[in-house]
Amino acid sequence: MTSLEDLRNINARCIHCRACQYAYSGEPDREGKDKTYTGMLQGCPAGIYFGWEGYFNSGKQWMARAFLNGELPASPELLEIAEACTTCGMCETQCPNYIDTVHVTEELRAAVIEAGVEPLPKHAKFRDMVSNDDMRNPYNEARSDRTKWAQEKHAEQIDKDVKIGYFVGCTGAYRQQHVADRTASILKKLGVDFTIISDEVCCGSPILRTGQKPVFKEVMEKNLETFKDFDLLLFSCAGCYKTIRNDYPRVSGKPLPFKTRHTVEYVYDLLQEGKLKIKNPYNKEVTWHDPCHSIRHVGIAIEKDILHNSKNWLVDSRGAEKAKEAHYEIPRVVLGAIPGLELKEMYRTRGDSFCCGAGGGVKAQFPDMALSTAKERLKEAASTGADILMTSCPFCITNFSDGIKALKKEEEETGKDLSDVGSKLKVVELLEVIDELL
Amino acid sequence: MSNYNKVTDDVVKKLVAICGEKYVTTSEPLRHSYMAKGIMGLEAELPEVIVRPENAEQVSKILILANENLCPVTPAAGGLSGGFALPAIQPGGIYMDMTRMDKMTVDTENRVMVVEPGVKSGDAWRIFKTQYPDWAPPIPDGAPPAATVLGDAIERGFSLVTGVYGPQADMIMGLEVVLPTGEIFHTGSWALPGAKPFYRWGVGPNPDGLFLGSQGSMGIITKCAIKMVPHPHFKTVVAYGGESWDDVVKPAWEISKHEMGIGERTVMVQGGNYELVMTRWPKTNVPTDYEFYKKIGVDKKWMNYEVWAWTQEELDFTLKGIDKIYKDYEVREKRTTPQQQLHPKQIASRLKKPNKIAVPYSLWQAGFLFITWYCPWLESSAMMEEYCAAMAEYGFPETMWVASIDHARQAIVMPILCFDSTAPGIYDKIREFNLETTRSFLKKGWLNYRPDPFVHAPETFSKAKEYYKMLVKFRKVLDPNLILHPGRLAIPWESVSDLPNPCKE
Repeated sequence: MTSLEDLRNINARCIHCRACQYAYSGEPDREGKDKTYTGMLQGCPAGIYFGWEGYFNSGKQWMARAFLNGELPASPELLEIAEACTTCGMCETQCPNYIDTVHVTEELRAAVIEAGVEPLPKHAKFRDMVSNDDMRNPYNEARSDRTKWAQEKHAEQIDKDVKIGYFVGCTGAYRQQHVADRTASILKKLGVDFTIISDEVCCGSPILRTGQKPVFKEVMEKNLETFKDFDLLLFSCAGCYKTIRNDYPRVSGKPLPFKTRHTVEYVYDLLQEGKLKIKNPYNKEVTWHDPCHSIRHVGIAIEKDILHNSKNWLVDSRGAEKAKEAHYEIPRVVLGAIPGLELKEMYRTRGDSFCCGAGGGVKAQFPDMALSTAKERLKEAASTGADILMTSCPFCITNFSDGIKALKKEEEETGKDLSDVGSKLKVVELLEVIDELL
Repeated sequence: MSNYNKVTDDVVKKLVAICGEKYVTTSEPLRHSYMAKGIMGLEAELPEVIVRPENAEQVSKILILANENLCPVTPAAGGLSGGFALPAIQPGGIYMDMTRMDKMTVDTENRVMVVEPGVKSGDAWRIFKTQYPDWAPPIPDGAPPAATVLGDAIERGFSLVTGVYGPQADMIMGLEVVLPTGEIFHTGSWALPGAKPFYRWGVGPNPDGLFLGSQGSMGIITKCAIKMVPHPHFKTVVAYGGESWDDVVKPAWEISKHEMGIGERTVMVQGGNYELVMTRWPKTNVPTDYEFYKKIGVDKKWMNYEVWAWTQEELDFTLKGIDKIYKDYEVREKRTTPQQQLHPKQIASRLKKPNKIAVPYSLWQAGFLFITWYCPWLESSAMMEEYCAAMAEYGFPETMWVASIDHARQAIVMPILCFDSTAPGIYDKIREFNLETTRSFLKKGWLNYRPDPFVHAPETFSKAKEYYKMLVKFRKVLDPNLILHPGRLAIPWESVSDLPNPCKE
């Protein structure tokens, strides 16, 4: 397990330059299409919402340092501020000192809780439900119902003795079953011999993000044991993917026994290998939202893995950056392979993509911040003129849908037309479209 | 020494009444979040309350309240002056976060922009890019995008055209100042109600100098009118190498002294040594032998020239002029000063404003400090030689940066101390290093530009006693209760130094 103490030297690199507060902090001359979206822009959801320095990563790093140095005690107040962060990683992308900002924030949360502070109420509920052997999910659902979504259409895939697994995740299993259904359907159409494992438990993402490490470790070990003999795990949930791909090896201290790929990446692989061609058209104007977990966090991990193994960062940093940027292109290659789809990019994209506002335990504990952040992103999406806001993350979809609902309600109440800030956008999961077109 | 009071609950209530509940906090974690011990300073005290005023009137009311209660006040916006944008005395008192005051107006006819403290360089750049593309805001060069235009100006900082226009403070046309006792007044032509900030010296005599470089310890600057500069779009960077500091300093002087000639288009002249490249990477993950840098085309020392021109012809003419001076220097002095072959990406990177070029020195270990000195340009070689020798002796890498101010009239010499901020005793070691170099440099007549309040300032004022006495007199007139933080002025003396107080001699 890692700890805040392990990150002391990394945290000590922070000189409080505050570049982390912005998207495109290193691209002041970046051309946008209008005055609003040009150059560097504010990029931290919590900082924008709360305003105080401590809600930006730049302030959190110094709170973490004070905590490490014994100058700032663990307290509910410290935890509350530390938890008001979507862990989107925008700050990490900006940091010229390569500070693992999200790890520091997550470890600060964990350290405060380990010091005896009770997790925030909603987060404690997650913990209780995920640690409950009859549930093992944060949705208060029965564990025995985990594969219920698949009983009708994909029963033959459940607990099949094969080497490729589809890690459904709690949101796919209990809330957005249509995404799980579509993913299973895609995999079948692609001829993948896969299974859905009924012993799967919560990946632990909401638990790890909110600093509740003992329960995270418990579910991580269960999943690692369940999937230890697999060759490949496929995902439809950005959060599960990031957690298992990036966090399991870091926290367990061991490399994963299987390979991991998000289903969008798997489709990309087949497209690149020439084994797949999408023939049916999708004649719509689409803007793409990069999910923080499957795009930015994985991209950063790719970059940092290369640097971790490098003896000469001066020489290898450019290559590492290119590898990260290549990862950011994956969904764009997939979208580009769909006939008729017109991609209209938002201003903040790829590593500088603005968060939907839901992650890191924020949606449950700080719903107003989550909604405000979703609206900020919806406004940016609407500015492209696209009709469809497409992404591939169940949490992004939920939060954007809630944002649109709020805008529609506001329209009803005020009589105003809020289409220029996103009220008419339709949120669509890329995997659903791929399934339709295959 | 002033006897300050702690911030009481009653003071907090009154602050809330001034700024609103949303903009006042005594939260301990939030107070810690403003700390900084790096870049420009290493010492900082925890403030007792943070307040975020919206306008000069609120600033005024806060200062009146602070006087009534004898609470120290520290204003800051970008906070990039490191520890010295934070309280440096006990108790920490009221920290005024000025970021809410972020309005900017631009007057292209009179070529002046007015900024409040919270206008960030990156924001100013974005607004100019889309709305005033033929003009540039005089933002700090090399400072991160969150650095503020006003902060840099009143610090007498380094702008993107400093090689021609001098320090940022030289471009100021007027200030709006809230005095420590709460009065709001304007300097320059702005002093006349309704007048534009078109004439710095205004109704005169002009007191600007008392506030510039004071870090808000003489009064809080809530608006600054500052010249904007033309922004021609034929731009490039050329660089020439050398073996010694003289190889880069002397030709730069010859180029820069061509005022009203090629020196006018050479807006930025800055250089350094190969360690400046090396220490941007982790000590354990980058070659430390010069041979590697030689292979990739990095000279031991070099000077960059950033040239702005209205036409390609003008640009070419300037580059030829620079090259000729170098060629002549090589022949005359029998030295080798090759032009570096810069990749277009390197040029683009150096032209980028604002940028994060100054930030990654923490990667070397875990922390760094910029120490900045001014000296006559041609003396900068000697200063850098001495500095590098001292850095080597103390076990710091010899990372050095130098830049021309106002056509190489002055040099800003800046060693970058790269260190492990978690290492026991490191701050004492840096203090010793600072003391040793400061004592030596002051004897030579060189001045620290952003003095450390605990080392540079007392050492300097112990020598410049009459100046210090005058400064204290002014300060007492403006701030009878000494409620504003000491900044780098060593006022009150006993709060920063054990040396004999010059006022008592």
